[in-house]
Amino acid sequence: MNGWLGLAVTAFALALAPAGLPPYAMTLLTEALILGLFAMSLDLMVGYTRLLSFGHAAAYGLGAYTAGNLLLHTSIPMVFAVLLAGLFSGIVAIGVAWVCTLASGVSFSMLTLAIAQLFYAVAFKWTPVTGASDGLAGIPRSPGPFGITFFTDKIGFYYLVLGCLCGAFIFCRSLVRSPFGAVLQGIRENEAKTRSLGFDTRHYKIAVVAISFALGGLAGALYAPFAGFTNTELLFWLFSGQVLIMVIVGGAGTLIGPIIGAAFFMLVSNLLSSWTDSWALFFGLIFICFVLFAPQGIWGLATRWFGRRRAPEVKGKRWRSLNWTG
Amino acid sequence: MALLELDGLTRRFGGIVAVDDVTMHVEAGEVRAVIGPNGAGKSTLFHLITGVVKPSSGSVRFAGEMLTGMPPQSICQRGISRTFQLTALFPEMTARENVRLAAQARHGRRWQPYGGGAVFGAAERMGDAALERLGLTHVAQRPAGLLSHGDQRLLEVAMALAQGPRLLLLDEPTQGLSVEETEQAVATLAGLLADGTMTVLLVEHDMEVVFRLARMITVLHRGAVIADGSPEMVRADAEVQRAYLGGLA
Repeated sequence: MNGWLGLAVTAFALALAPAGLPPYAMTLLTEALILGLFAMSLDLMVGYTRLLSFGHAAAYGLGAYTAGNLLLHTSIPMVFAVLLAGLFSGIVAIGVAWVCTLASGVSFSMLTLAIAQLFYAVAFKWTPVTGASDGLAGIPRSPGPFGITFFTDKIGFYYLVLGCLCGAFIFCRSLVRSPFGAVLQGIRENEAKTRSLGFDTRHYKIAVVAISFALGGLAGALYAPFAGFTNTELLFWLFSGQVLIMVIVGGAGTLIGPIIGAAFFMLVSNLLSSWTDSWALFFGLIFICFVLFAPQGIWGLATRWFGRRRAPEVKGKRWRSLNWTG
Repeated sequence: MALLELDGLTRRFGGIVAVDDVTMHVEAGEVRAVIGPNGAGKSTLFHLITGVVKPSSGSVRFAGEMLTGMPPQSICQRGISRTFQLTALFPEMTARENVRLAAQARHGRRWQPYGGGAVFGAAERMGDAALERLGLTHVAQRPAGLLSHGDQRLLEVAMALAQGPRLLLLDEPTQGLSVEETEQAVATLAGLLADGTMTVLLVEHDMEVVFRLARMITVLHRGAVIADGSPEMVRADAEVQRAYLGGLA
């Protein structure tokens, strides 16, 4: 099956979803798409560049708080506010990436974690901007521009999220297939060699972190008016870990996989939590099984099943995304 | 004016002088080998030329331009390509993608974050030609990690070649190869260098290989140059025999 055709069919089905699904399911689906966008943004770093971030919640939280403040304190229409918040997140990420890329491997991961925790601590103390432990509440879905109110109701907001996800997906897909993307994959497989070929790999890494944060920030920015509130949990390391799990379970380095991983995570955690309080334990077991037996993730398994792609098994490289030392 | 000029190049690591006042010229079109026993400073010399290691004193000039102090990427962009003693490839990419990425590094729009038909097209032409010259066309679609060790070594040379370098640095191209593989690799490399258009600086352990490929030889011993000249001269040099060749010549 042609890739674009499958994509068009999926997008079409998602566009028709409001006609057939009850309201509570639409709420879940909207959240799943927001998380899917978030996971896909992390895939640019983890799956394509092997920059393992333990602090991607920083992007989400940054976007959510920025959008929350814009919507609470200005009259900027929501559509523009979320885009501005994503952009802001990406700009902040240039500084974050500049610091983190001073190191590589495990040290890089630890720096991402440290910076995310720094943001978390700031969110706890900076009451006028972040509302401290109360968070920001009553975030409106400001209408406009030109008096357009379509995006403010439940279904309209769903279409806004779907539009952002589709746009981001097409953007990412084009990015990873471009010359820039080829360099990222070079960094993933052998950064020293990529550098010796004459690429300034640090610039590429900073750029991909900025893009990843901008899209992750966009996801967070969508979450703020979706939920109507933000709190410091959006910046907590637990959330960074969860999104990493979504990427790996879904299939790192595939863009589609992490979106599926996010939906899978939401679905399974919802089912498990209605059944037991210790759902995280069981999800942990599922995660371990994936790492051990299906490191290519759900999407990797699916494509192998349908034989759509050759998947050459390179010796000693069972796991390519979590392998720090290469 | 020589293409590459090393002048009084010295590098100390603590109390050890790894490279000691090396002055060496490589003319355009020359194939020069640097030989010497283990620890003679051959690898450090390569690192100094490519900017990976900064010299304690002395200078490196390339086509009249001072390279000393430049970061490795800038030096590389001046037209110096190298291979590594331990094979360095992109194992999950195909051989063709490996050379394509190498050639892409020389393209003005190598960073273009969208589309890329033109960039990839140009890089593929350079890359495919390099694969052809090293006889690797038949394995172009195989992942580099699955190639035989001999083909991997040649693929690394192809990657350097795909960059259209003005100076090619080869670090022990036959390292770790079996006798047959070495024979094959040397034949391929000799064919490549036969027309005398390439400027090559070669580090090699295997004297057999050196005498077949190089037309000029520099002998290093404890970081210093002890002989410099044609293979015949070097072979006859008494000091070289003491330091390195032993009873071989």
